[in-house]
Amino acid sequence: MTQTSSMPAKRHSYLGLPTGWVTPQSLFRALEISGLFTFLLALGVVFALSSGQFLTASNFRAILTTSAVLGIVAIGQTFAIIAGGFDLSVAGVIPLASVLYAMTSNAGVPTPLAILAMLALGAVVGLINGLVISRVGIDPLIATLAMLSITGGFAFTVTNGVSVPFDHDYAGVLADSGPLGLPVHVWLVAGLVIVGVLVLRYTVFGRMVYALGGSREASWLAGVRVSGLTTAVYVLCSMMAALAGVVLASELLSGSGNLGTDAALNSVAAVVLGGGSLAGGVGTVWGTAVGVLILGTLANGMALLQISSFYQTIATGVVLLLAVAFSRLRAALAPRFYRVTSEFISEDTAAAVTEEVT
Amino acid sequence: MAALLEVRRVHKRYGTTQALTDLDFDVAAGEAVGVVGENGAGKSTFAKILAGAVVPDAGDVFLEGRQLQIRSPRDARLAGIGFIPQELAFVPTLTVAENLLLNNWPTRHGTTSPRAILRHAARAIQRFQIDVPLQAAMAQLKLADQQMVEILKAFIRRSKIILLDEPTAALSAHEASQLFRALESVKSHGVGVVLISHRLDEVLRHCDRIDVFRNSRRVYSAPTVDTPVDEVVFQMLGQAPAMLETGSSAAAAAKHPPALAVSDWQRESHPRLEHVSLDVHEGEVVALFGVRGCGAEVVAEGLAGRHRDITGTLRVGQHETKVFDRPRLARAAGVGYLPPDRKRQGLFTGLSVSQNLGMWALDDVAKRSIINSRREQDLAKGWVNRFNVRYRSLRQPVSELSGGNQQKVLLASRLASKPKVLVLQEPTRGVDIGARLQIHRELRRLAESGLAVLLVTADVEEAVGVADRVLVMRDGVVSRELVGSQKTQSAALRVAAGEES
Repeated sequence: MTQTSSMPAKRHSYLGLPTGWVTPQSLFRALEISGLFTFLLALGVVFALSSGQFLTASNFRAILTTSAVLGIVAIGQTFAIIAGGFDLSVAGVIPLASVLYAMTSNAGVPTPLAILAMLALGAVVGLINGLVISRVGIDPLIATLAMLSITGGFAFTVTNGVSVPFDHDYAGVLADSGPLGLPVHVWLVAGLVIVGVLVLRYTVFGRMVYALGGSREASWLAGVRVSGLTTAVYVLCSMMAALAGVVLASELLSGSGNLGTDAALNSVAAVVLGGGSLAGGVGTVWGTAVGVLILGTLANGMALLQISSFYQTIATGVVLLLAVAFSRLRAALAPRFYRVTSEFISEDTAAAVTEEVT
Repeated sequence: MAALLEVRRVHKRYGTTQALTDLDFDVAAGEAVGVVGENGAGKSTFAKILAGAVVPDAGDVFLEGRQLQIRSPRDARLAGIGFIPQELAFVPTLTVAENLLLNNWPTRHGTTSPRAILRHAARAIQRFQIDVPLQAAMAQLKLADQQMVEILKAFIRRSKIILLDEPTAALSAHEASQLFRALESVKSHGVGVVLISHRLDEVLRHCDRIDVFRNSRRVYSAPTVDTPVDEVVFQMLGQAPAMLETGSSAAAAAKHPPALAVSDWQRESHPRLEHVSLDVHEGEVVALFGVRGCGAEVVAEGLAGRHRDITGTLRVGQHETKVFDRPRLARAAGVGYLPPDRKRQGLFTGLSVSQNLGMWALDDVAKRSIINSRREQDLAKGWVNRFNVRYRSLRQPVSELSGGNQQKVLLASRLASKPKVLVLQEPTRGVDIGARLQIHRELRRLAESGLAVLLVTADVEEAVGVADRVLVMRDGVVSRELVGSQKTQSAALRVAAGEES
């Protein structure tokens, strides 16, 4: 059987325009994506008008630097959410990795080895999460909440609740300053964002993550190793959280059980802000990165305006609600644009039938 | 009969396309009107207007002579139009009784009780003499029973018009006849029934009048008693349909060894299988036909690796194995499986048209697990052109396509994986007649090009019209093979119903 068409190729949209032209749908989608940027820009304009310090290179560096840790966690969280789950245990893995990294380093283990050890720790936690969720069938909310409690508890147990300062400053290499006056970890995040975007877009693994989150049964019937893939996603997510823990400790030159405990909700918030859906199958690393920057800019701008950090938490919540409300609105509006397509089929189908019959 | 519902000169336009033009429509009290037409002919817009989901651009709707302003689903319900959509809307965790009286519970001083609800519901449906388990959770009911509950619910709400959209698409013949009995009973209480359907036979059998929509207009309206099927098909298409040539490849097929051989399949749990054996040769289409629950669907699912409780063996090509216990093995062995529920089981609804096709040909479009988008687009373009899929962009989500076009993408995706054997379960359920004809023709063409095709269907017209051989299943047994002149719809139906074996 050949793949060449025996029928004349018709490449026209319902408006009679060749495909690839601007249609209401494509316009709508472009608006939807740029809406996020617009929001970030608007936020920037508001802060620039209210504070003279906002529009400075050093302040932009500050935003990027403070957003980096959340960025790393949120990339992993993006995979988990697209795959149809999510991972709250990141907020336990971060402090645990931070203290264990400080302790291994203080014990004289070379920095690269210590970092690898923390990644391995993340992998083990993720493996347990993944197996519990995919094989035992426990809901991700319960499974990762339990793991959050366990890892967070360990972080305090191994240190007796006190923070662990680095004995050797070289252990903080990931937070050293790098090109353009930006610390190494900002470049690390930039690299991870690009890798994340490429993996989701261009690899079979990425494609399967979308498929799994969008339609678990269809994936299973298509021969996807559903349990294995789910586990892989949680392993990846926890490894990113462990890396975030190392980076955070490197910035502060000490590990502590109190670090990064807000990362669970903030990372989920960043993914959702960036267009991800807790229903699964939707989201991009790109969008998540913008989501992280929105949260970072918000915190930074409010700090410049000397607004108490308690209000920042409130503002984060409000922004998240607005973003989700917007996406609901989008979902409610979208069918008006999309649904009509089925009505537009009529002439085409009639033509198909004519061909069929003659 | 005086008209109960009158629709006069309704227009609806979406962008540049006319969805409904100058539409008139009438239903009398106690009358059932079937609305048929191609996808896109305007019948779903029509249903949405009556249900309050879409507001018409112009035109009037009268109920019992009173003009209605339907601006929302709530307006429609209050006016007395009960809409039963294809995807039922009920509360799965509440009981049947609670669903029947949803938001309509008997109250005393603002309180209600499970007993009062049960009593009330029992009284409300008494006269129908329909056996529904009032205390069961709605989720535990079969689809057919859930539908019945929805119809009763509409009736309890004193709906004057009950509007059903494709109610029988997922029902067996037996369940469908039960549904029509219930509608008959509702009609006898003076309710007008509007039935939107793809199945001409049932509309002609069970409705009093048939209306045909084509290209946004009502082109035909007549009492069903003196309307032949051919006339309706002619009105729907605007011309006479073509018949498929079957049996021609069967003789050739017999020379080939069987590409698929199922031997002695057994299954204890329901639906049961008893010593099921069958084979499909290269170059032929074999239909496995039977009413729902006969076991035919289990055979299809078993071939797809969806059941672990089937014993027996099968052979695909030269490869002999026990029944696949997971879908991955079926795919690896070269069995292409087209599941009956395209939205949940078949398509990756979040992914685009080209990604859906690419998922099934990853070896072709990906090298070292990196996907080559260009190659994926080219592959997809080849398939959508071959199947004449109507799409706007290969990058558009597959969920935006119409049902028939989704089904074509589904079939194409299975072919993209280059199967040795194609197993299809209800491949044309809920698709319009144009797509249906095209899928049927494609199946013939695939067989002619040497593929072995097993068509598992509860649609007798499809089984007899497309297949070279029809195997009829009943109660877990393949009870008869129909070939040549024996292969008729009435023979297949009689065997399936157990009238003859």
